[in-house]
Amino acid sequence: MSADPQPKRMPSALTLHHHAKCSTTKARASTLDLPHGSVPLPIFMPVATQASLKGLTYDQLRDTGCMLCLNNTYHLGLKPGQEVLDSVGGAHKLQGWDRNLLTDSGGFQMVSLLKLATVTEEGVRFLSPHDGSPMLLTPEHSISLQNSIGSDIIMQLDDVIATTSPDHARIKEAMERSVRWLDRCIDAHKYPETQNLFCIIQGGLDLELRKQCCAEMVARDTPGIAIGGLSGGEAKEEFCKVVDTCTSLLPEHKPRYVMGVGYPEDIVVAVALGADMFDCVWPTRTARFGNAIVSAGTINLRNSSYANDFSPIEEGCTCTCCRPKDQGGLGLTKAYMHHVTAKETVGAHLLTVHNVHYMLTLMGAARQAIIEDRYPAFIRKFFSDIYQGDKTKYPEWAVGALRGVGMDLLED
Amino acid sequence: MTTAMESSQFQSEKMTFSVLSSSAPVMAPRVGKLALAGRKTLSTPHYIPLTSRGTVPHIAHDMLRKETALNSLYIGLEDFITKKSPSPVYNVPVSEDESPLRRFICASDDMPLILAPRRYPAIPCPPNNTDTSIAILTSVGFRQLPAHQYLDSVRSLKPDIAIGLADIVYGREPGVKRRAKMVDRTHAFTQDALERLYGKAVPAEQKASAAYFAPVLPLDNAQQSLYLDDLQDELKSRISGLALYESASLSQIPESLGALPRLLLSQPGSPHDLLREVSLGGDLMTLPFVGECSDAGIALDFTFPAPSDATVSASEPRALGIDLWSADNAKDVSALSEGCECYACRKHHRAYFNHLLNAKEMAAWALLQMHNYHVMDLFFAGVRDSIQRGTFEEDMRSFTRVYASELPQRTGEGPRLRGYQLQAGPHKRGPRVYGRLDDVSQKFAESQSSIATPDTDASGLEHHGFAQKA
Repeated sequence: MSADPQPKRMPSALTLHHHAKCSTTKARASTLDLPHGSVPLPIFMPVATQASLKGLTYDQLRDTGCMLCLNNTYHLGLKPGQEVLDSVGGAHKLQGWDRNLLTDSGGFQMVSLLKLATVTEEGVRFLSPHDGSPMLLTPEHSISLQNSIGSDIIMQLDDVIATTSPDHARIKEAMERSVRWLDRCIDAHKYPETQNLFCIIQGGLDLELRKQCCAEMVARDTPGIAIGGLSGGEAKEEFCKVVDTCTSLLPEHKPRYVMGVGYPEDIVVAVALGADMFDCVWPTRTARFGNAIVSAGTINLRNSSYANDFSPIEEGCTCTCCRPKDQGGLGLTKAYMHHVTAKETVGAHLLTVHNVHYMLTLMGAARQAIIEDRYPAFIRKFFSDIYQGDKTKYPEWAVGALRGVGMDLLED
Repeated sequence: MTTAMESSQFQSEKMTFSVLSSSAPVMAPRVGKLALAGRKTLSTPHYIPLTSRGTVPHIAHDMLRKETALNSLYIGLEDFITKKSPSPVYNVPVSEDESPLRRFICASDDMPLILAPRRYPAIPCPPNNTDTSIAILTSVGFRQLPAHQYLDSVRSLKPDIAIGLADIVYGREPGVKRRAKMVDRTHAFTQDALERLYGKAVPAEQKASAAYFAPVLPLDNAQQSLYLDDLQDELKSRISGLALYESASLSQIPESLGALPRLLLSQPGSPHDLLREVSLGGDLMTLPFVGECSDAGIALDFTFPAPSDATVSASEPRALGIDLWSADNAKDVSALSEGCECYACRKHHRAYFNHLLNAKEMAAWALLQMHNYHVMDLFFAGVRDSIQRGTFEEDMRSFTRVYASELPQRTGEGPRLRGYQLQAGPHKRGPRVYGRLDDVSQKFAESQSSIATPDTDASGLEHHGFAQKA
């Protein structure tokens, strides 16, 4: 690691207002003001990979309350490409979305999807899948593309490796390289006044490396901070330790984004560990296979047991699909969802609406609980609903992680 | 073209059809109003949107209500028949007078529902129809729909309009013997249906609430004259409309049945075909080409009457639609049609459509459906105005001069078609890649589709700003 990081001050296009902090856990409730509107934190961000959220119109997405969604740089770089993005005037104009966008750097997809990708100090080297020519994707390319996309939050290109990698030297190298690439990203970033560059803390599951990385990256003073390299199949205990360790070292006044996480349980626990922002394709992907997220977990509406079930997807849910007709909703039933799921695209649209709404409502309820300083009780109710009150079924990782922040999940 | 305002009216307990302007009872364009008790009134000529499993394909219920003017639904009973009997649609808990079908598909209360035995266009079934049943295709395979089950469904599901059972041969031309059988069976189906649904022997509270549209077969007049005679004599008092399977049948309607609304199930291939049907006195049309265009990435682009400033060129007539797959649209930030006020045009531009199609995103089809139906709304409004102004024939001639005779060729791929959606004709099912593990194969396809493989070479990637040659 360079002995002299020469921190570069950079402008910020966001402000974070804190409202409350849980008196037991590390959970925080705040509001993040971004160029395209205010986002309540903690928040779940749905993933509109290719500038479209799986068949939904952007008004349907607004109706779920979404203020910030993701696009993937890798995908938009391929289609429609930088030239079109520049010509159209960025991704907001491309997709007709006037709220906030966040883009990843493209590095994760590059390394996980393209075989024969190798990471060098210059960037990610890979063979063009079409003609086999050697190609190079650099931090400068990634930032340039994200500048063309015009997303409100952009991510640095980082050296991504699986957290489960046994090669400690490689993990250390990746962490250090990510710091060096952050400097290149900061230098390449053309619009710091309108786009917020987030650094990404790396270091695998090695807490010492994570701590070093936090110190280096915090010194570079990016507007926000992401914890990366998780959601790669590591044990949940390890995941929680990394999040807990990092949030303790991060400045209070910056938003903290845990990338690629996750399931409702992961998010509820990670919020208690002091994280603010989450994204995951799971709620929208699983909708397309007929899975609805409900407070008791997930139910698969393709199951024939729902063919004659004329109750809403979830009783009391306030999404457009579940709300009864007399309250301005559609009053859809499980039976009808069973009828169209995996048979009509509309089935996917409707379940996607429900699932995104579920995640956003869950986050809204968590935030309210933090503001009213009853987040531990909220977490207990949340787990009790999923496991029907059977504490013997509670996952040990969650019990352990919450104990680490001063809360006993098993208490009544 | 005359502008005579002779009005005629058909009235039954639940339905009124008033013809506001027509020069003759048959074989002439006419404007009317179809009013169904408790539902939106349809101004005719109009179209009936086609559904698949109770949805207008790609348009979610909330978008349909908020952002479209769709004001009726055509529903095929075969979409609701399952292996296990009774099918769920028959088990919906409803209050008295409420339609279980409406409740099941979560349609709004004022939406007129038109029930037919089969989806439209119907897919040919290898099993033959019989004297007491017709062959149908459900999502779990072919089976027979007994005539009495259809009648029970009409009674219990309470659609606003029921299209009568007919012995139609799909996918091939029936021979002489088969044609005679078609007439005999359809005649018997109709007689039986009207007796069982509305007959004197049926107690008042068990009479069907639906208005019955009797089928007219796609045969020439001589072949079905006995049946048509019976329709205008014996059966007339119990039928509320006619369902026609080809536009030629419009010329066979006896004058005495002229006051009845005419619903066409004739597979028009273009707006020109629609105009011909209107000119022959068609009232309600079904438009499979709208959904086909949306699936193919084509935005309809025509108005009726044709714009008066249109420069007419015989060698280069105006296209009826825009192929959004075309790379010409990649950077085009203009609306699909200039000045269009549909949801898709208010919110998006051509470049986005081109991107969505290339990215195989479902939103492309949803938005195109909304646009294409909006174009048809305006088209039919224009048709009605034109008839009332008395300029229809003239407007039709100029439309034919200005616009190309056919819709644009399809160049791009559409959504994956499911078994029950497959039709004979232009659509061919894609090659079957996976075995019977449908669930697994879907997940696999899904995981593949999220791995966007660059479909360009190294120079392309460099040009896209994606990476550089090393």
